[in-house]
Amino acid sequence: MILLSIVFIIMRVLPGNPVLLRFEKNADPALIASYTHQLGLDRPLYLQYFDYLWGLLHGNFGVSMAGDFAPVGPQILSRFPATLELTFYAFIVAVLVGVFLGAFGARRGGAPDESVKVFGILIYAFPVFFLGMILQLVFGIWVHLLPVTGRLSAGFQPTGLSINGVQYQTGIYTLDSLLSGNVVEFIDAVRHLILPCLALGLVISGVFVRMTRANMMETMRSDFVTAARARGLKERTVVYAYALRNAMLPIVTIMGLQFAILLSGAILTETEFSILGLGTYLIDRINFRDYTAVQGTVVFLALLISSVSLIVDILYAYLDPRVRL
Amino acid sequence: MKQNNSRQHTASLMGNLLSPLIGKGRGRALMFVGIGIALVITLMSVTAPFISPHDPTVIGLGPVNSPPSAKFPLGTDQYGRDLLSRTIWGGRFILLVAVAAVLICMAVGLPIGLVSAYTGGNLDRTVALVMDSIYAFPSLVLAIMIISVFGVSIINEALAIAVVYIPTYFRVVRSQVLAIKEMPYVDAAKSVGANGPSILLKYILPNVISSTVVVATVNFADSILTTAGLDFIGLGLPVTLPDWGIDLTYGRMSLPTGSWWTIFFSGLMILLAALGFSLISEGYAERTNPKLR
Repeated sequence: MILLSIVFIIMRVLPGNPVLLRFEKNADPALIASYTHQLGLDRPLYLQYFDYLWGLLHGNFGVSMAGDFAPVGPQILSRFPATLELTFYAFIVAVLVGVFLGAFGARRGGAPDESVKVFGILIYAFPVFFLGMILQLVFGIWVHLLPVTGRLSAGFQPTGLSINGVQYQTGIYTLDSLLSGNVVEFIDAVRHLILPCLALGLVISGVFVRMTRANMMETMRSDFVTAARARGLKERTVVYAYALRNAMLPIVTIMGLQFAILLSGAILTETEFSILGLGTYLIDRINFRDYTAVQGTVVFLALLISSVSLIVDILYAYLDPRVRL
Repeated sequence: MKQNNSRQHTASLMGNLLSPLIGKGRGRALMFVGIGIALVITLMSVTAPFISPHDPTVIGLGPVNSPPSAKFPLGTDQYGRDLLSRTIWGGRFILLVAVAAVLICMAVGLPIGLVSAYTGGNLDRTVALVMDSIYAFPSLVLAIMIISVFGVSIINEALAIAVVYIPTYFRVVRSQVLAIKEMPYVDAAKSVGANGPSILLKYILPNVISSTVVVATVNFADSILTTAGLDFIGLGLPVTLPDWGIDLTYGRMSLPTGSWWTIFFSGLMILLAALGFSLISEGYAERTNPKLR
């Protein structure tokens, strides 16, 4: 809400007129005026603000200012699945790599631990698009193994689930292709996802490596771990079944914040791999000074982040019974 | 007497800042490797006009997109510019942005955090709410918005990054001050009649300063990465500047032909610069935070 207001003020009060940007310099003033009126830009600012809020409450993100007056909401929704798919799989990569390496380092100590620590710092210092470029170069250009741009090969279009002739599409290609039972399409979608998810996931994994490592070290010193060892349990069981479960708790809480970092990274990854998601949409709309579209995207992201942090809180209560008391 | 007092105060501040640099113990190797990288890169950027073999902006100096050779040790880009010279020059602006951003953040985030936490009450709650809502938002999106509105320039770049990172300083400083202000020694200072500002400056600030250094070095590394990211989507530094981020962005165009050198060296420099400052922060944190020892 606060952020929404800040966004509104930044986008509207400051110079730069979307209507003028659309027309040539010597356009008919009457035409410009009619456009301005149609967009409601000639109304007082506070009225514009309340109009916008009222619209949002009804799920209306406003119409595009870039000329065609297309509603922004559906556009955002059509771009969202690509971003969701990318961030979801990248997140899985990040958690798997991060938690495994972190736990491994904390368990072994010594040289393996130091290398895990250095890996955590190094990978976090990687610009995600640089890593993306290296992956593209190696796997896409030197070794022709994987596709380097887009979400699907030409000619593919997952149809989704069809029940009684009605199509239900999610826009998430890996899901849609499975629902329609098209394995070839599914494999194609996965192949397109591997490199971007690897790039984004590895960079984000740096944080998880560090968190897991630090938490594991603390947990490994706690009494219940000693007790488990004293009972003669296998070291592997103690580490991965006992200690890791407890060390995961603080990691779950930072997942919510990681989501924001993930979204930042997704913008760059989408640009690098030419994926038509929210990130590329945002950059595209900014170049048109399409206020409503930019604002809508930002609001959408804010809502998304709020819901993710809600989910994380619920998840935390589930994992840690103490919270429920 | 008063002057003497303030000198002592400055000395103790500096002592708190520098003491982690001295002596053995954990984190030393990390910190010194980081300082080494940072020094080399800074030195290279400062002395660029003297050590670079060619003018980094001359177009058509060599063949277009030629691989590393004896004449052009790092190759040339798609305009035939010398990549070695561009790599040497490329840190000047990106580092300048980072320095400016960190200074702005410190100048704004530190005082707001100190005063807000010390005053407490509704003021603190309101400021914390605003800061948290900025903090929870994807930093790059926010920076993109600010740049897109104010336009592309070095100053705007620094401002955008500063706005994004001020909440981090605020949060770290605030949480520490909230704990420190309940300490007995602060009460003792109050009981002998010290006023608010002097308590903040003399008794609280010295204890907050070392964690501010940790935040500032991380912030420096992040600024470099964010600037490179903004360069990458065309909202970064002006494209006419020799800059790692811009070289990386445009070098990418030649990627399909397999010319790795157009992206590799600029990308590597960004990575090294960010790595150097991350290492400093990691090492410094390990040495000052008793929990990590």
